[in-house]
Amino acid sequence: MGDHELNPERAKKTEERSRRNFIAIITAVVFGVTAAAMGLFNLIFMRPRVTYGSPAKVRVGRPDSYSPGSQLELPENRIVVRRQGDKFAAISTVCTHLGCTVNASDIGFACPCHGSVYDVRGDVMGGPAPKSLSWFRVSLAPNGELEVDKNQVVDPDTYLEVKV
Amino acid sequence: MSDEFDRPEHDRFPSGSSGKTYGLMCTVDADAPAVEAKPEKSVQSWPAAFIRELLLFIVVVLVLSLIALYFDAPLEEPANALHPPNPAKAPWYFLGLQEMVGYDAFWGGIGIPGILAGLAMLAPYLERKKGGEGVWFHSSRILPNLIFITLFVTLGVLTVIGTLFRGQNWAFIVPW
Amino acid sequence: MSVDKVKLPADADAGKGGLIGTLKAMPKRVYHSVFRFRPLPKTHMERSQAVAANFFLHIHSAKTTERALKFRTTLGLGLISLYLFIILVVSGVFLMFYYVPSPDAAYDRMLDLRGAVFFGTFLRNLHRWSAHAMVAVVFAHMVRVFLTGAHKAPREFNWVVGTALALMTLLLSFTGYLLPWDQLAYWAIVVGTAIAGYAPVIGEDLRFILLGDYTVGGEALLRFYVLHVVVLPTVLTLGIGLHFWRIRKDGGLARPDTDEE
Ligand code: HEM
Ligand code: FES
Repeated sequence: MGDHELNPERAKKTEERSRRNFIAIITAVVFGVTAAAMGLFNLIFMRPRVTYGSPAKVRVGRPDSYSPGSQLELPENRIVVRRQGDKFAAISTVCTHLGCTVNASDIGFACPCHGSVYDVRGDVMGGPAPKSLSWFRVSLAPNGELEVDKNQVVDPDTYLEVKV
Repeated sequence: MSDEFDRPEHDRFPSGSSGKTYGLMCTVDADAPAVEAKPEKSVQSWPAAFIRELLLFIVVVLVLSLIALYFDAPLEEPANALHPPNPAKAPWYFLGLQEMVGYDAFWGGIGIPGILAGLAMLAPYLERKKGGEGVWFHSSRILPNLIFITLFVTLGVLTVIGTLFRGQNWAFIVPW
Repeated sequence: MSVDKVKLPADADAGKGGLIGTLKAMPKRVYHSVFRFRPLPKTHMERSQAVAANFFLHIHSAKTTERALKFRTTLGLGLISLYLFIILVVSGVFLMFYYVPSPDAAYDRMLDLRGAVFFGTFLRNLHRWSAHAMVAVVFAHMVRVFLTGAHKAPREFNWVVGTALALMTLLLSFTGYLLPWDQLAYWAIVVGTAIAGYAPVIGEDLRFILLGDYTVGGEALLRFYVLHVVVLPTVLTLGIGLHFWRIRKDGGLARPDTDEE
């Protein structure tokens, strides 16, 4: 193939070939970019903007409906609401292992699925769970009810002070 | 109908000026893989292959119909997001995974399965040495077969453990 | 001879005998328009043509090696996978006539299949057991291919296609597992999809897109339904077509170069 320069016929052909290559590359790039864009659009399409499941913000009743030093399991919201003195907190009962609902007791939480055990603070004491249970932000809604926002995870031992 | 078929070939198969029924299938600029170098014992696919295939189909349909007649598919209580059963188990073919997930969520559920799937996909590119094609347990392939069987049996054992030997709270139980 | 001058088999008596003749020639003409070979071909030539001229038969070559026909070569596992898939598609389409993919209705429809649909229990059983069997048989097929060294050159790519088929089979079975919406289904999917959430970086997003929500609910049921009845069966059908085509292009089933055994 070293004789391009010597052979004008060949050189011309090579030039033509490189032009074709160029066009082929451009075409491939255009197709590639289009395909990538369509893939991305599909992903965005498949990602819902609103969800129809249970809402992230839930009202859990007036503060005075809880007695000091107690906690209440709210299974349909998958949280426990805990009151200590005049302070309130909400802890997730979704096992951090594979999402079963843990059972709350005085000494902590236990998962029925693969045996994860958590202490009262939600820290892992045993089993395959990789993380401690989440604490959620609690606030006071305008109508005087407590409101838990399950999209806002806060540090453990974060309580909301309420004048009951 | 037979009279029609007793007429010459090119009358019955009008597929072009030559009357041939085959067209060019492919051209190769190297060794043609489908061309045998040696004479092979072969038979007409019709009826030898088709009869066998039909028979196997009938057997499969029959066996599954019998199973479906005598064994009912399970149906439990309606789904209830508040009360996980104890233990909650994935379908049996994922119980090997679930068993590994019980040791470590990431490695058991993603890491090791990912590596295994990757190894499986790349197997023919990893095992480059020629020889032993189409022969059961060929003597030149002892090592690859051994690795493959080991991995498969390990997964199988984990699956059996997850299926039969795991009870409440995923504690180890003995099924009998 | 150009194409338009070729005499079609039924042309011989074309135009003869008016209406009666047309009617008399009808069965023959119809048969010839569909099949280009005689009902039970006899000679080698005819049999080869029967294979080549039929859409469903021509995935075979006209001849098959005796070796490939021996049961112990394949244990029939690839074919059984195909047959189970066919049973699943047929029984699945029947089930679709009575199934509703909504959390309110799905479970009731399962009960209806038992009590209110003719042969409903049988259909559901058949679909369920075939699905389990297909997973098992596909993996057994994979084992047989490896242990006979049939994945090696030039069949590497067909092995890769095969692994994709195996993954697809798992997904198909898994998406179907949710549809009865009973405790077994629900919690299997909760646990199964939670595993997806562990994938690094994309895990949470992947799980969210798969479920269409943060938890397993109506959206997840609808998504799994669409994947189960449309997307995955279509992809698997195309994949199986590719798989079979490759078997022929790779020169039929793997066999040793020499006549060793
Ligand atoms: C939907 C699933 C599948 C179907 C319906 C299917 C079907 C088939 C059939 C009918 C054959 C002909 C020989 C035989 O019956 O064994 C075959 C061969 C083959 N299959 Fe599959 N298969 C499937 C999955 C797989 C998987 C999971 C693999 C491997 C990862 C695989 C790899 C191969 C290879 C390499 C061959 C050629 C074997 C040889 O040349 O001897 N297939 N398949
Ligand atoms: S889901 Fe709680 S231990 Fe696995």
